[in-house]
Amino acid sequence: MDSITDTTRKKLDISDYFNLYKKLKEGKKPSNKKGIKIALLSSFTVNGIKEVLSVKCHEFGVNAEFYVSGYNQYAQEILDTNGSLYKFEPDLIILFIDARSVFGDNYLLPYSIGDQQRKKFVEGKLEELKSLAEKIKSNSKVKILLHNFEAPVFSPLGILENKQKFGFVESIEALNSELMDTFKNDKQVFIFDYNAFCSKIGKDNSMDYKMYYLGDMKLNLQYIPELCNEYMAYIRPLMSLTKKCIVLDLDNTLWGGIIGEDGIEGIKLGPTLEGRPFMEFQQYLLSLFNRGVILAINSKNNYDDVIEVFRQHPHMVLKEDNFAAMQINWNDKIANMKAIAEELNIGTDSFLFMDDDKANRQMIREAFPEICVVDMPEDSSLYLKTLMDINDFNTLQITEEDKKRGHMYVQQRKRTEFQKSATDLTEFLKSLNMVVTAEKANKFSIPRISQLTQKTNQFNMTTRRYMEDSIKKLAEDKNFLVFSVKVEDKFGDSGITGAAIVKKVKDAWNIDTFLLSCRIIGRKVEETLLAYIAREAKKAGARKLTADFIPTKKNSVAKDFYKNSRFNLAKKENGKEVWEYSLKKDYKFPDFIKFVEK
Amino acid sequence: MKELKKIVAKILSIDEIKVNDALTMKNAEQWDSFNHLLLISEIEKKLGITFSIQEVEKIKSFRDLREIVSSKIK
Repeated sequence: MDSITDTTRKKLDISDYFNLYKKLKEGKKPSNKKGIKIALLSSFTVNGIKEVLSVKCHEFGVNAEFYVSGYNQYAQEILDTNGSLYKFEPDLIILFIDARSVFGDNYLLPYSIGDQQRKKFVEGKLEELKSLAEKIKSNSKVKILLHNFEAPVFSPLGILENKQKFGFVESIEALNSELMDTFKNDKQVFIFDYNAFCSKIGKDNSMDYKMYYLGDMKLNLQYIPELCNEYMAYIRPLMSLTKKCIVLDLDNTLWGGIIGEDGIEGIKLGPTLEGRPFMEFQQYLLSLFNRGVILAINSKNNYDDVIEVFRQHPHMVLKEDNFAAMQINWNDKIANMKAIAEELNIGTDSFLFMDDDKANRQMIREAFPEICVVDMPEDSSLYLKTLMDINDFNTLQITEEDKKRGHMYVQQRKRTEFQKSATDLTEFLKSLNMVVTAEKANKFSIPRISQLTQKTNQFNMTTRRYMEDSIKKLAEDKNFLVFSVKVEDKFGDSGITGAAIVKKVKDAWNIDTFLLSCRIIGRKVEETLLAYIAREAKKAGARKLTADFIPTKKNSVAKDFYKNSRFNLAKKENGKEVWEYSLKKDYKFPDFIKFVEK
Repeated sequence: MKELKKIVAKILSIDEIKVNDALTMKNAEQWDSFNHLLLISEIEKKLGITFSIQEVEKIKSFRDLREIVSSKIK
């Protein structure tokens, strides 16, 4: 990272962004950077968004290119399927249409039309917006960020506004609510809650009337950086730049005071003046954990002191069961951070670090520039707000497995601890009481199967990526067997952590895709699945199995899998290996795993 | 005035020394209509003053700006 980026974590003025943008444009374009193409379509002159977003993207090592529509040309540009918008091939379209432009004269003369007419008008606008979104969707896979509308805080009717049958303010709220409902399950269109954004900055501030009359600015220039911050919550998951794990300090972070000195009775935590900020901070951490964020501890403390707080303190919201890794010892924080990354097997670039101590923060920042180190406020009453403002955990969709992720890493920690105490691997595996379930792809599992093909890099035999639509097609094709894999054991349910796609070629079934999450490999789940595929193939009259293996930089863990499973290498061409297994001999299921087929 | 010069220099991307009464919208390439509004917005924020729409229209040079600002700061 270079000097431009260091400054952008701080709160900057809009003019700072313009300056940084200039520097960015003058500088050399690094060639190895990720890129994103953003089209900005709006009903008025938007100045500043391109500049601020370019700088913010640069901060994350992303090179942003922009397409900005002509003044109020958004509809024409969307409808012109051969036009420059589609030629630009954007990854994201931001559609920022403001209420004034939509309502025209009716915005300031809302009651020049009756309730019935207003209803019709709003319905018409909804249809227009829907059809614009549909038009884009039929031409491109681009993600669409569609603004809703700022509900006004004025009304010529004053206090009687909400006595109308279908009032002016209500009409905009209705439009917003319809937009939300329409696209609730849409994976391409996301509603940007501009109304909530305006509430956040204060609707009295959102418009600077002077600037509106002078330069047609519908949003006060000074708030463009904040608007762009909200946009980043969508851009980051698009570019796989989301954080997954919060690494926490304990003393003066999760509770007030120092456990080693103040003792369990002395620390500040609970429904008291000094304890409440910490209790509520923990509550919000817990709700992040429940949406799938992984929690970990990096603290210099006596382990036993801390465990006592977890087990005995009446107001401790977070429990041991919420932490996927607990480095509580007297090692330095850098070593502990490395240990956490190793234990969780995820990159430190997906970490966010919270520690009240400035020196610790600086140390981590220097050792791991890729970790997002949160500047914790001096005053603990601002901890909750600081946490709520973090939008680094956003994903564009959330599967059931995502929600369970925090829990699953905790189970993994317990499993590892248990394994350490076990003397023999087979005994260990037997004592896990594993149940492996293979389920044919259905509408509930298809998004997850697709996600696994996109994200799994290590134990993935072919690394073939499939979009949801393709998985759906294959699942409906009777020449294919597509299934997901779920593993349960005495520590819990892993959710869907594996998948396979098998082509039922008459004589020899071909394993096109075979993948498992790293968390569950080495526990004979792989063999169980091969046994299942072999059994099904044999039942259908096939005489052999063929299986592809395509080596990549990341899947070396899988390279001997077919060999160790007694397959024979049949051919090797263009970097692809084809392995074979004759079905004359049965493929045995491991005897300590219960296998369920659904 | 030092603060004012700083803001102008920053937005027009020029050296502070060049921010003097000779600087006008006509002779400063960067001083376009958008940067003019950005300048006003930043001065209002940083110096805690507000301009009327007529004043914004009237300002055509650093001298105009300086005079209006100093009348407001007093």
